[in-house]
Amino acid sequence: MKNYQFLLTSAVFLSFASGQAFADGEKIAVFTKNQTNPYFQAFRLGSDSAAKQMNASTTHYVPTKPDSIPEQLGAIDDVIVKKPTGIVLIPVDYKAINPGVKKINDAGIPVVNATDRAESGNFVNWVGADDFSTANAAGKALVKALNGQGNVVILEGVRGVIGNTNRVNGFKKAIEEAPGIKLLASQPGNYQRLQGLQVMENLLQTYPKIDGVMAANDAMASGAIEALEGANRKALIVGINGSKEAVEAIKAGKMLASGDAAPFYQGCFATMSLIRSIRNLPVPKEIVFPPMVVEKATLANYDVAPDKQTCPAWSTIVK
Amino acid sequence: MNNLFQELKNSSQLKNLFFRMLVVVMICIVLSLLTEAFFTTNNLLNVLRQASLLFLMASGLTLVLLTAGIDLSVGANVGMSACVAAVVMTNTGSTTLGFISGIGCGMLIGIGNGLLVTALRLPSFIATYGMLWILHGLTYYFMAGTTINGFEKSFRFIGSGYLYGIPVPIYIMSVFLILGSIFTKYSIYGQQIYAVGANPIVARLSGVPVNRRLMLVYILSGMAAGLASLVFLARLNSAEGDIGESLTLPAIAAVLIGGTSLFGGVGTMFGTLIGALILTLVLNGMNILTIDGNYQALVTGIIIILSVFLDLLFRRKASS
Repeated sequence: MKNYQFLLTSAVFLSFASGQAFADGEKIAVFTKNQTNPYFQAFRLGSDSAAKQMNASTTHYVPTKPDSIPEQLGAIDDVIVKKPTGIVLIPVDYKAINPGVKKINDAGIPVVNATDRAESGNFVNWVGADDFSTANAAGKALVKALNGQGNVVILEGVRGVIGNTNRVNGFKKAIEEAPGIKLLASQPGNYQRLQGLQVMENLLQTYPKIDGVMAANDAMASGAIEALEGANRKALIVGINGSKEAVEAIKAGKMLASGDAAPFYQGCFATMSLIRSIRNLPVPKEIVFPPMVVEKATLANYDVAPDKQTCPAWSTIVK
Repeated sequence: MNNLFQELKNSSQLKNLFFRMLVVVMICIVLSLLTEAFFTTNNLLNVLRQASLLFLMASGLTLVLLTAGIDLSVGANVGMSACVAAVVMTNTGSTTLGFISGIGCGMLIGIGNGLLVTALRLPSFIATYGMLWILHGLTYYFMAGTTINGFEKSFRFIGSGYLYGIPVPIYIMSVFLILGSIFTKYSIYGQQIYAVGANPIVARLSGVPVNRRLMLVYILSGMAAGLASLVFLARLNSAEGDIGESLTLPAIAAVLIGGTSLFGGVGTMFGTLIGALILTLVLNGMNILTIDGNYQALVTGIIIILSVFLDLLFRRKASS
């Protein structure tokens, strides 16, 4: 597979993975939120892999300014003119995307919604994972490793943000199911590494015995690792994101596990759903990924760089 | 001319400092009464270490604020300098080159800010805000959402090491405090910086090279940010684009709570240290008491406003 890069407009970079031209070569436009978060990079690679397997091709539209709503809406206008066979859409903002979705619907282009649910519009389906069950699975992994006994703290992300609320609730559910686990504190670290470190340092002053830490993202989990090492204390740590850094930390035995929203798989199955629906094959209304946990036992699956992975078969996930 | 400096320095600054220290002591007493975990050697060192990162960023900012300017790019500077130093260190394996590149990057950014303010005569708020975006853009582009982890033990010493049982960042903070105080109080440069902030026209007429002094404060602020970035890096063992971002506003707040005027000409390094301590103590106390996160922001806001308001009240009394 060759990768060509064209400068489409002054604002939009188009990366075009050219498969061989088959009769079924659908042209899929994929919209993601930014170039900065590795999550979307993995999603794009998953989408490319699926398209390649099904003899279709993808074109990526990413705002040059991360998470720019006007840029995403502008790119949708441009794409509609080019009439792609279908669109995979991760909206930058679930509400602000509405007029864009309406234009896509009016143009009669089939569209799959991925990762973040758009507020309204007609979609082929929704493909994603949910924060609650991902956090819950990571929390359960911690509870299990502690044999259901011990003191834990939660490092929260940004208070009031829906994703964080769901993650914290997922952690708490895991704790409630284990009567031997005591939640000492649940303090915000705003998804920041430094704040995670400092909040953890402060908590270590108050509590002489902390056995487990549940962090709402991997950056704060890394901060907690540093705080524990600095204080010469030990605790089991789980994070969320399945980032490269977390995989390294788990391999080194510094971190127990990380909940993962499977961005590569999301890219695969969003794109497969779209192509299947275009080819009149059945597609479920929703594909919700079972929560995945990166830990020692499953580490091998995550040690592969996203660009070396390939999509699993449709039937392995969709029954 | 010398009378002007004397007047500025002696007016009520000593009393002000005393008052601020009183606030710190009061917070400490309250926290000691509320929880046993607070007044322990470990926790006090912990507070000082956390305050030291904030102080390093705020020390350079103090100089900028003394000239009635502001440096909004200080957090973005820390982010970019940290990433540059991290890239250099991982590629060359040399801690020395890492140091040079981190501080050098901070200094270059300071030169950029200084030129925007003096040569283009942009208001510092706009110049450094623009610089913030430029630095974000460059850093995010080069890092592409990745982080660089794992540095040598010898390097990590400056962020997470101990010397005679005291964390190394506290020593660095002390050196900055002492050098900064001597520089502002006793050097001719320091006195001229106060004069520029108090009244740039009078300063110029009295023969102070205003533009050169402005250049100097932005360069020093940039260098302080560059050095802070190295301590951050050594402490976190990880470089990412937005590493210092969450401390930009707290650093500005520390300077202001420390009694430095937003309008220039008034303030001390020691005051800034106290400002950094107040901010750190409040958060440390609330975490130790495990106060709900929803109230932490609220309480921080109230304490910031209260401490500055009480200070103003005190100053008005002192001057009447």
